[in-house]
Amino acid sequence: MTRNWIRLDNVNLHYSAVAFKERSLKAMLAGAFAAPNAKPVVHDIHALKNISVEIAPGERVGLLGHNGAGKSTFLKMVAGLYPISSGSRQVEGTVRSLFDLSLGFEPDATGRENILYRGLLLGQTPKFMRSVEEQIVAFADIGEFIDYPIKTYSAGMQVRLAFAISTMVGGDILLLDEVIGAGDVTFMRRAKARITKLIEASEILILATHDFDSLRDICDRVIVLHHGEVKFDGAAGAAIKEYGRLTGVNA
Amino acid sequence: MRTNGSQTSEMTAYFLGIYESRYFWTHLAFADLRSKWRRSFLGVAWSIVQPLGMTMLLALVFGRIFHQDIVAYAPYILSGMITWDFFTTTLTGGSLSFVQADAYIKQYRHPLAIYTLRTTLTNLMVWMMASLSLIGWVLVVRPQSFGWSWLAAILVFPFAALIVWPLATCLAYVGARFRDLPHALGLIMQAMWFVSPIYFDAKLFRDGGIGALVDYNPIYHLLELLRAPLLRGQWPTAANVAMCGITIVVFSALAVLIGRRTERKVIFYL
Repeated sequence: MTRNWIRLDNVNLHYSAVAFKERSLKAMLAGAFAAPNAKPVVHDIHALKNISVEIAPGERVGLLGHNGAGKSTFLKMVAGLYPISSGSRQVEGTVRSLFDLSLGFEPDATGRENILYRGLLLGQTPKFMRSVEEQIVAFADIGEFIDYPIKTYSAGMQVRLAFAISTMVGGDILLLDEVIGAGDVTFMRRAKARITKLIEASEILILATHDFDSLRDICDRVIVLHHGEVKFDGAAGAAIKEYGRLTGVNA
Repeated sequence: MRTNGSQTSEMTAYFLGIYESRYFWTHLAFADLRSKWRRSFLGVAWSIVQPLGMTMLLALVFGRIFHQDIVAYAPYILSGMITWDFFTTTLTGGSLSFVQADAYIKQYRHPLAIYTLRTTLTNLMVWMMASLSLIGWVLVVRPQSFGWSWLAAILVFPFAALIVWPLATCLAYVGARFRDLPHALGLIMQAMWFVSPIYFDAKLFRDGGIGALVDYNPIYHLLELLRAPLLRGQWPTAANVAMCGITIVVFSALAVLIGRRTERKVIFYL
């Protein structure tokens, strides 16, 4: 088996303000005539600050933090989606990430077609996707709708199908961002069982969640993020206490 | 995943990534084709009918104005029109390729060039189908040009694709950040159209003393790959092929240069 590990050294990540600042002619003209300081100034966002973390094979890591603390940014940085502005990021192993599940469906194509498309997006071959199609259909359990276009689906059905497809293929490093939390009760139970199986199959897990119970159950190490900084890195129980202290919430 | 190696190995890894995701981008290209003609009665036949009708119209008008032989002139226009269509749709569409694919880009780290490759491939297939109308027309009105040289005409597709793909990728990097680009591009393409022998005969340029617009124009040389065999039954010249080759190298280098600096930052602008 290959050795999978993650090594982050002094990682900083900025969202550059030019990406969301209004830079139109209209805004320029309006700015010329408006009173000075009438508009709030938009700065670069320093989303991750001096993060140094090493994750060894076999570790189950939780991420805890308030909204906007940098949990999702952390995961997307590890997945290699976001470029870091300084420091070094080394990730060894195939990364499988589960975030923004219902993004990227083709509304006009049927559920069955979308199973194939999504599998291809995730880097699978058509042959493999055909071999697991029936399993995915069975797990999503949305009846005859599987042959209907996605645009006829309810939000819950979309999530179920997306979940069924995305969890079909595992990886060495599994990144989860609050995926548990949609669908009805029976589906939730099966989803949890499925996630547990995926987690067992993966070598490294990083899970971002606000659910203390799953943190205690699954993770043997929890990192607390607060305004982009690592405030605590250690056992789940102590991490939850620290999180409570930082945000003023009793856990 | 990512290892810190030299820049060449980074490039190799990048192209390997394109190869590995081949099922995904070919699927996207075919899905684009399907959705283009979804619920249309003529469907894919439109890509043949549309340029054909347009050519008949133009040939009629141009033939009168410039006193040219309509029958001979029409395939000239048709070849120019379908090729130019490929260029404009791929480049203007390509400049928004990343913006259009944001849902995928935010979920999975494929090389971004696959999204412009998708646009290129889709339009390439449309162009290939449209060229059937050209072949049909030529076979009817100029059967004498049919011969072995027609094999050379096939070259126009890979050459054009390899010119347009890197160029569209450059534009997509810029277009992700500056959304004015597609609008400006419409204007630029119109200007390019005027100074290239696309509808107008190359001879008109040479007679007017602006032959340089023809001789140093990659669009002319690319069109010659198609026109020399199909319209005149001749082989394209070495100069035609060389100019196309140089253009490919220049645009590819440009794409690598821009991509090295901006590829990773594109996600912030989506």
